[in-house]
Amino acid sequence: MTRLIVYFTVGLVFMLLQTTLLPRLLPDALRPNLLLILILYLGLSESFGRALLLSLVFGLLQDSFSSTALGLYGVVNLVIFLQVRLLVTRLSAESPALLLLLVAAGTLVQSVLLGFCLTLFAEAGSVLQILLPALPGQLLANLLAAAVLLGMLLLLRPQFGARPGMAGLPHQSRHHGS
Amino acid sequence: MGDFFKRQRIVVLAIMLLVGTLLLYSYNLRHKGATTLFERTVLTLTTPLQTGVDVFTDEIGLLWNNYLWLVDARRQNLQLTEQNRRLQGELVALAEVRLENQRLRRLLDFVDEIERPALPARVVAEDISSWARTIVIDKGLDAGLREGLPVVVAEGVVGRIIKTAPNSARVLLVADASSAVASLIQRTRTRGVARGLGDHLSLDYASREDSLLIGDLLVTSGMGGIFPKGLVIGRVVQADQGKFGLFQKVEIAPSADFSRLEEVLVLLEPEP
Repeated sequence: MTRLIVYFTVGLVFMLLQTTLLPRLLPDALRPNLLLILILYLGLSESFGRALLLSLVFGLLQDSFSSTALGLYGVVNLVIFLQVRLLVTRLSAESPALLLLLVAAGTLVQSVLLGFCLTLFAEAGSVLQILLPALPGQLLANLLAAAVLLGMLLLLRPQFGARPGMAGLPHQSRHHGS
Repeated sequence: MGDFFKRQRIVVLAIMLLVGTLLLYSYNLRHKGATTLFERTVLTLTTPLQTGVDVFTDEIGLLWNNYLWLVDARRQNLQLTEQNRRLQGELVALAEVRLENQRLRRLLDFVDEIERPALPARVVAEDISSWARTIVIDKGLDAGLREGLPVVVAEGVVGRIIKTAPNSARVLLVADASSAVASLIQRTRTRGVARGLGDHLSLDYASREDSLLIGDLLVTSGMGGIFPKGLVIGRVVQADQGKFGLFQKVEIAPSADFSRLEEVLVLLEPEP
């Protein structure tokens, strides 16, 4: 329960950063999607139920912080989370490189899913003209943000204690919930 | 059958959630004009936080501009007294107030020009995604706002309100991909629909027969019932008539600078 609250708080802080501070500092195309990184991290590190619930809640909150109809980010986040869970049993979640690779793949998948849903269901055809040119910048921003967050996580690890199966953090014995 | 569900309960749960969320999205797409209870609650609960962060970053920015970046100068000029520093800070703060006054004065002059009551509001947050273009303002249902009201600045159209909460509202900018505004070129009276493309707009359905020039002014046509007629949207930066087809390709640069929005005006319903 405590972890659920901690992750929720972190997600809320990320949302506030993305809606207030980051738009002042960075152009639209270079604003990292911190919530996507958090969802990928949850997919790699957390139990299925907890991560599923948080992915859905974060998705619905993202919809409330955006112009999209309620449910779009919910669907996109759930699909991304489920894809990560399908992969995670075959990969070493503790590898920092894997987390970065997943962030890159997650950024691409998210753009494709958003473009698909918005074009097909919401008739926002021109959204592709915004999403596609912004993709390289978004990819770079997300990778940089993930690297910084991973660095912070490594620094903070002694404070909150490491446990096996934490994404990007090598541990002697590997085990994660499912 | 029961055993199958027991064994596959996680998969079943995931599929049910996914289908449920898809249905929720589908339902909300058909009721886009309304603000759901969930969205209203999130807006209500988070706007004070967003306003707090906004004010805090403003203060940090002021502190940085007024004091911190002068650290080197202070080191080089040890003779500067504490009083001088304070006065310097106050002067810069006054300059900020003067600039704000100028912006508000321009907005007030603009209010005199339009025949509808207008409510000033402060921008407190932007869209969470990098591809959508919305802002959050610090006025909402309690101030008499509702979905569909147009939002403007002295330079031109900003957008329209799409979600409302008691003390805040979300504004869809005209540059958003899902925004479409009935408009016309002021000089030629060419009608079209201004669609958002992120940082600029396109004018769809503009007749090929009309010859548009770079710099032609695009204004709202008043059709559609949201924006009053004659509000400036932007200027033509590119017009390609092409060799065939009914319409030409027109690119519009918006008049309002969406990256620097601080105060906006919400145009209220005309008084009876």
